[in-house]
Amino acid sequence: MSTPVLQVDGLAVHLRGEGGLARILDDVALTVPRGGTLGVVGESGCGKSTLLRAILGILPRGAETPSGAILFEGRDILSDDGASARGRIGFVPQDPYLSLNPVFRAGDQILEIMRRHAPGSRRDHRDRLIELFRAVQLPDPEGALRKYPHQFSGGQRQRLLIAAALSCDPALVVADEPTTALDVTTQREILALLRALVADRGLSLLFVTHDFGVLAAICADVAVLYAGRVAEAGPTRAVLDAPRHPYTRMLLACHPDRATDLAGIPGTVPAATAQPQGCRFHPRCPIVQPGCAAQAPPMVALGAGRGVACPWHEVALA
Amino acid sequence: MPEILGATDLVVELGAGRGLLRRRAGVRAVDGVDISVAEGETFGIVGESGCGKTTLARALLGLQRESAGEIRLEGRAVSGLHPRAARRVRDAVQYVHQDPGAALDPWWRVGATLAEGLAIHGLTDRAEQRARIAETLAAVGLDAAMADRYPHELSGGQQRRIGLARILLLRPKVVILDEPTAGLDLSVQAAVLRLLRDLRTRFGLTYVFISHDLSVVRRVCDRVAVMYLGRVVEHGSAATLFAEPRHPYTRALIAAAPHLDGRESGPSLPGDPPSLRAVPPGCRFHPRCAAAAAGCAQRDPVLEEAGADHAVACLRWRDLDAA
Repeated sequence: MSTPVLQVDGLAVHLRGEGGLARILDDVALTVPRGGTLGVVGESGCGKSTLLRAILGILPRGAETPSGAILFEGRDILSDDGASARGRIGFVPQDPYLSLNPVFRAGDQILEIMRRHAPGSRRDHRDRLIELFRAVQLPDPEGALRKYPHQFSGGQRQRLLIAAALSCDPALVVADEPTTALDVTTQREILALLRALVADRGLSLLFVTHDFGVLAAICADVAVLYAGRVAEAGPTRAVLDAPRHPYTRMLLACHPDRATDLAGIPGTVPAATAQPQGCRFHPRCPIVQPGCAAQAPPMVALGAGRGVACPWHEVALA
Repeated sequence: MPEILGATDLVVELGAGRGLLRRRAGVRAVDGVDISVAEGETFGIVGESGCGKTTLARALLGLQRESAGEIRLEGRAVSGLHPRAARRVRDAVQYVHQDPGAALDPWWRVGATLAEGLAIHGLTDRAEQRARIAETLAAVGLDAAMADRYPHELSGGQQRRIGLARILLLRPKVVILDEPTAGLDLSVQAAVLRLLRDLRTRFGLTYVFISHDLSVVRRVCDRVAVMYLGRVVEHGSAATLFAEPRHPYTRALIAAAPHLDGRESGPSLPGDPPSLRAVPPGCRFHPRCAAAAAGCAQRDPVLEEAGADHAVACLRWRDLDAA
């Protein structure tokens, strides 16, 4: 088996702030195989964005990574000499309206990135960008070079940003909810484009989302985060069809496609400065057992690539 | 049930102005809409951004003056009035903002914001205000102590609840909910939808539910209208509309919504809706329609009956296979 493109191992991220020490991520492990698509899914405050920032090397001031490693093509990018490898990670941001400078031509903004990170002459860059515009199906790829961001629609801007993420020949593309700002019709087109890029170019994708429908449409594998820990991981189909962690089971029962009684989940996600001891879900868990508050549950392997961080995963919910 | 809120041939023109020598044409964000909301139901309005959903809501509410057509509330015509007078006669209709956090003043305690609404609507006695606020906060599932908090101290779900409390205080009959679940996490969304359902029963409310999330609309709405470029292109009971959509646009919209089982059905809808400044001739949807025929660019379809409580504005709906 070849080395995975991205392997996160036992990663912890702490942030010291006014409210005390926030343990935002704790013992997070996940893997993006070469040509694979991994979805990271969770509700607000679960640490999705912090995970992305750690991978991209843009953690906020004051953040520490006391333990763990992020191996990108086998090199630890948290170490000083591995950090340079990050040039080969492409990033697709959440909001296509906020991510381009309105006073510069969109094409020039992408060419600037290429001049910094990609080899070749200006002429090569330009030719390559036109080829990329064609690949992301922008209408009139050559004319698009001369246009300003406002001359593109929301869906077209997201295509531009996908082209930008691909511009430096990345081994991994990291996408942060790239379709939440779009209409469902446009969302479907962008998801189809990303799927085609994964299939045709052998792209590896780490896709962060809170939308299980979007997850099902694009990711082969999934890691469900709760309060900074991986609650459950495995092939997307298997996890969505038969979730095992009490949190995943309750969360999926809230989905309008499934919900029988719109129950919700009692309580709220704990603040990062006040994480409960032991299993972080135990104060909200309907099948909580005496030992749950004592020790963080380890990942239990279920076979077929699945794992669940709950020793009581076979107990029925009340 | 009888109609509580309705409109006939409603037109709302935005951005029109009179210059020194010539009149500047505006765009018709709502262009000939008929709707009829029955008492006690949840009436959904869906469509892509820019289809006129919010403008329609603002016109029904009286915040936006209609250019033509009639609006009825509890059987009385309430259109053709100046905005201030229009709002006054439409007291029974209230609006919950899409982003309830943005609709709260960050410098005011939540209780002060709630009391202001009561004062504006004529309830100025402090003790009575306090009692009513505590009662309403309890109804939306919040502690009375929440009135002393500032908006930034509330979670997204709590802000939605405050947004609801704010209008429930005014004892409305019709509540217009503009994207009430946008940006909420799944578990919070479920709790908010359940609360909305309980409040509707408890206070005898009627909802106009504007949303782009078809999974949610299917789940909570009794009847649904689909809008495209300022027009209603199809309406009917939610059960019929989702089971047997007739308009090619409705079909594409339903097909585009992602599902948990990962299935994708039907054709995708390429491109973006055209600008209101360049509305296509004939059927407005024909440039993006997979089923468009020669006549579609010439004739403008009107809503025709496609079944019991089901109408569609498409020249070719009879020729298309049932979905």
